[in-house]
Amino acid sequence: MSNTKPLNIYGTELNSRLLIGSALYPSPQVMQDSIRHSGAQVVTLSLSRQNPQANGGASFWEMIQSLGLHLLPNTAGCHSTQEAVNMAKMSRELFQTDWIKLELVGDDYNLQPDPIELVKATEILLNDGFKVLPYCTDDLVIARHLVELGCKVIMPWGSPIGTGKGLLNPYALQAIRDRFPEITLIVDSGIGKPSHAIQAMEMGVDAILLNTAVAHAHEPVKMAQAFAKAIEAGRLAHEAGPMNERSTAIPSTPTLDQPFWHQINYG
Amino acid sequence: MPVAKSIRKKLEMSHLRIGILGAGLIGRLMALQLSSDYEVTLFDSDEQAATQSPAYLAAAMLAPVAESVETSPTLMQMGQRSLQLWPELLAQLDEPVFFQQAGSLILAFEQDSAHLVDFARHLKGDEGEDFVRINAARLAELEPELAAQSKPFKHRLFLPHEGQLDNRQLLAALASTLNARGVIWHAHTPAEIREDRVWSNAKPYDFDRIIDCRGLGAKAQIPAGQRLRGVRGEVLRLYAPDVTLNRPVRLMHPRYPLYIAPKENHHFVVGATQIESEDTRQPTVRSALELLSACFSVHKGFAEAEIIQFASGLRPALADNEPRIWVKDHLIQINGLFRHGYLLAPVIVEQCVALVNGKAEDLPNYPNLIEKL
Repeated sequence: MSNTKPLNIYGTELNSRLLIGSALYPSPQVMQDSIRHSGAQVVTLSLSRQNPQANGGASFWEMIQSLGLHLLPNTAGCHSTQEAVNMAKMSRELFQTDWIKLELVGDDYNLQPDPIELVKATEILLNDGFKVLPYCTDDLVIARHLVELGCKVIMPWGSPIGTGKGLLNPYALQAIRDRFPEITLIVDSGIGKPSHAIQAMEMGVDAILLNTAVAHAHEPVKMAQAFAKAIEAGRLAHEAGPMNERSTAIPSTPTLDQPFWHQINYG
Repeated sequence: MPVAKSIRKKLEMSHLRIGILGAGLIGRLMALQLSSDYEVTLFDSDEQAATQSPAYLAAAMLAPVAESVETSPTLMQMGQRSLQLWPELLAQLDEPVFFQQAGSLILAFEQDSAHLVDFARHLKGDEGEDFVRINAARLAELEPELAAQSKPFKHRLFLPHEGQLDNRQLLAALASTLNARGVIWHAHTPAEIREDRVWSNAKPYDFDRIIDCRGLGAKAQIPAGQRLRGVRGEVLRLYAPDVTLNRPVRLMHPRYPLYIAPKENHHFVVGATQIESEDTRQPTVRSALELLSACFSVHKGFAEAEIIQFASGLRPALADNEPRIWVKDHLIQINGLFRHGYLLAPVIVEQCVALVNGKAEDLPNYPNLIEKL
């Protein structure tokens, strides 16, 4: 493990900066193995469609719980504030955690979060004692509303869920990073390859939340390891401070006997 | 072996009494294959029509290559061998069962083409042999009605060797054949295994071999360290006189694999949701909306189809979603067929019969399938 600073989620310090999902794997066995190899300390899980009132998903949840990690239940599939608040409360009861990944679908096809419902639900849940990790678009003003409400973590998308398109708007993410340096910033969704994760981490994003990129890889366990290394590398790079780009080459080996005006095409 | 000894051995063997727990697909096929040589008794909590079994609900597609997207290569090989074994099994039945091997199609609309590309990337067979990309003209030859739909399919895969059968005809034909053979069948009779005996209605039964085929009914009795769970599925049965399809069709869907399996006389099985839950409620509105709208998007002729049944069930699954045969002394336990009951049943039964006969080494060896305890 490197000597980077820990990740802070509402006061809980974690060494791993990867948060990983538990859905879409070919089997629960592959899910467990991939999560173990990712080194993640936080695993997200969903109650949707499992009839949680009757504990319908218990057998599957036990396989996630047996990993012994922090659980981050989500409200995937909820469209309205009321639905999301109900599911958050049910999750808190079932999994004994006040963490909630708040996700409100605004568009069924690309699963774009609904920013208006999100802000409403965030306020209700924060007032109810939840530690809300809101999944939002990369809109700076929505991020500001969430921070003003009291969110210590915000989770903008890189691109829509499951698309694997990486960071569609690095400028917008950088703006959020620069304006809220104290907030824990997690890129949630759209990460397809380890290079996307590195790019985000180098920009100063605090952590990455992903699922499909690992679950749908040919070899999910190997991809989980790839992401673990990429995210650690990206974080180290950010802390180390990358050099600035330049337009002229500067030799890394000093060549004192070859002044630049000897270049044939110079000038 | 001298002739006399061989006959004596045969006589001893023929006196083997075999108790089978569970008369779903595996239990019935096991009884079929063992009842010609041995005295077989079936115990089942269900009626003979098997309406509570996942085998009754299933679409009974025999699609080893399409399923390989999420399975091990071994499972695909087992499915391919099963496809070869099915005709021999069906030939033993005293009633005809619809069986075909006319391939299957995988289709995607423009907006879901990335799902099909991903699907093709995960297929374990050989391109050109096990699956081929086809153009619109070839689709029109295979499925004229689909090619004539107003919204065209932009991407198409044809898996030429895949098959399907009619599961309800099969279950009924197995029941009548087993009854005709004099197999003892305790229907509506739950049973469990204690101290190497079968117990039912507080009464013990002794057998030389016990074969446990109860699926989720055996949840409390699977070997230590194993975890058996139910995975919910919701399945539609439609009668659509306006629709003719010649083979099963899968539609790439962003949430789960959706298929339409045409049975005889314009009956269709449409499924299936796959939800990590042991919820046993009736199907939900959300699932109905998703399955039916997907169905309608494939063929407008489904608009006036009759909904014959919409039901839910639980598939028994182990952690890796692949089946296991556990052998301990005279007990054989089979479980974890998940969504692959019909796909794998012939091979599973073949392996178990060989175990009973002591001839397992004559068969293909599938890693991790048989575990001796």
